[in-house]
Amino acid sequence: MKIGFIGLGIMGRPMALNLIKGGHEVTVWARRAESMQPLLAAGARAAASPADAARGNELVISMVADAPDVAEVMRGVASGAEPGLVAVDMSTIAPGAARRIGEELAAAGVDFIDAPVSGGEVGAIAGTLSIMAGGSQAGFAKASPAFACMGKNIIHVGESGAGQVAKAANQIVTGMGVLAVAEALAFASKNGVDGAKVREALLGGFAYSRILENHGQRMLDRNFKPGFKSWMHEKDLNIVMQTAHELGLCLPGSAATAQMFNAMVGSGHGEEDSIAVLKLLEKLSGQAS
Amino acid sequence: MKVGFIGLGVMGRPMALHLQRAGHEFFVWARRPESAAGLPATICATPAELGRQCEVVFTVITSSADVEGVALGENGLIAGMEEGSVLVDCSTIAPDVARRIAATLGERGIHMLDAPVSGGAQGAIDATLAIMAGGEAAVLDRVRPLLECLGKRIVHVGPNGAGQVAKACNQMIMVAAIQAAAEAMRLAAASGVDCGKVREALAGGSAASRVLDVMGERMVRRDFAAGIEARLHHKDFGLVLEAARQSGVPVPLAAVVGQQLNALMAQGWGRDDTASLLRVLELP
Repeated sequence: MKIGFIGLGIMGRPMALNLIKGGHEVTVWARRAESMQPLLAAGARAAASPADAARGNELVISMVADAPDVAEVMRGVASGAEPGLVAVDMSTIAPGAARRIGEELAAAGVDFIDAPVSGGEVGAIAGTLSIMAGGSQAGFAKASPAFACMGKNIIHVGESGAGQVAKAANQIVTGMGVLAVAEALAFASKNGVDGAKVREALLGGFAYSRILENHGQRMLDRNFKPGFKSWMHEKDLNIVMQTAHELGLCLPGSAATAQMFNAMVGSGHGEEDSIAVLKLLEKLSGQAS
Repeated sequence: MKVGFIGLGVMGRPMALHLQRAGHEFFVWARRPESAAGLPATICATPAELGRQCEVVFTVITSSADVEGVALGENGLIAGMEEGSVLVDCSTIAPDVARRIAATLGERGIHMLDAPVSGGAQGAIDATLAIMAGGEAAVLDRVRPLLECLGKRIVHVGPNGAGQVAKACNQMIMVAAIQAAAEAMRLAAASGVDCGKVREALAGGSAASRVLDVMGERMVRRDFAAGIEARLHHKDFGLVLEAARQSGVPVPLAAVVGQQLNALMAQGWGRDDTASLLRVLELP
């Protein structure tokens, strides 16, 4: 398939590479021209603009930072679109913003799919991302061969915005999950009990989770290298809290968690992995770290 | 002095009347012209037209976006106000939006003060509002006689945006205190104790506060008709939490109170009084 790919950061670069490996004809565009180099070396064609990345292609994918960036590149895509184009945004943005962009593109005759991912840089490189999509059945079907190159667990969740709703729900579970594991380990430590043994014991029971297994181990190793940076998790939890505010939805656990991440970013832990929330807990409880 | 006024709602209308009665030549613009009925004022067709005729313009509007629209939008104040004139925005909006509007107006030599108020509809009627101002001290001094028609306590907090920061702090403390009063009333009732007596007993001690006095009384009487509509506090908490986020400052209590306000909105009580936080506690 002929695919345009916009946004070649930590996630976008390996995702675009996997499309090339999957035999697709890929055109790339990135704000900083030098980030296109590795893709051009792998056989991609360079586009001069988002509009140019859309021109002559059946599918366009964006992977950028935030909702205003998505809206901007998609306006460009719409101006270069030919009939039948499907535009897929794989960034994490607010569900409401995704719906609005979908409506704008529909007015320009472009079918828009929101398809945020979970699985991080590791998943992007391995092509094992979880992809949660919202939008039309036809658009999802058209994008599916591309999704298959980038991910493993690919779910069409529902209508436009539904993919972003699923991603926000994912961030609620992972945000609170990381905090829960950090609290459990801080609890063990302040009681003078070996956290490693506690983790091991819990892994066999109902408290088992991938976060307890993976993030828990990294907390014990005190390996705070990202992974998933705290400031990005904070940004995603802000999407959750803004949406809850707009809907009139009471989320006390997410609210408390969002404040912990807010404190992490404010105290200079934003570039560390989200497991650095353990350090914040230790500071608040007067535990030496 | 030629004074303009935009935003004739629950707060704005009594404030406008105080200014008009002080003998100023008075101009108004209202999105819905009927809300200007009965005001002895010149009705203007657009904010720009109003701005063209006034030395000082007051705005009391609900949302950041609406203030920005009236000030900077098409036919906005910026298109009419002359160099050296002053916009006094008494709305409660985001500090960064207030700063942005001030900077844009400043490029045209138009001054701005953010001057949000506290004291509710009663304070507006009694002209006893607390006014927290952000902007240049000299500009505040120029309009101080006008502000003295509206309130007793006028504090220059700092540069543009500082007034809105103070108002955000005010809302954090006040609504958290309403939540605390509601929880106390709920605990008393659930323990089979007379809420009215508890409130009366507390009023003499260390827990005494204006919120316990006024809002506690409403809770005891189960009078949930709005003084200030809860949806406005809900809106303000959106501003508070966003400001905390931008500063990277944890506000765990405000975050929880915000969720109680979300629940209140979900029950359809947004146009009732914030004393309805008591009813949220009674839901489970």
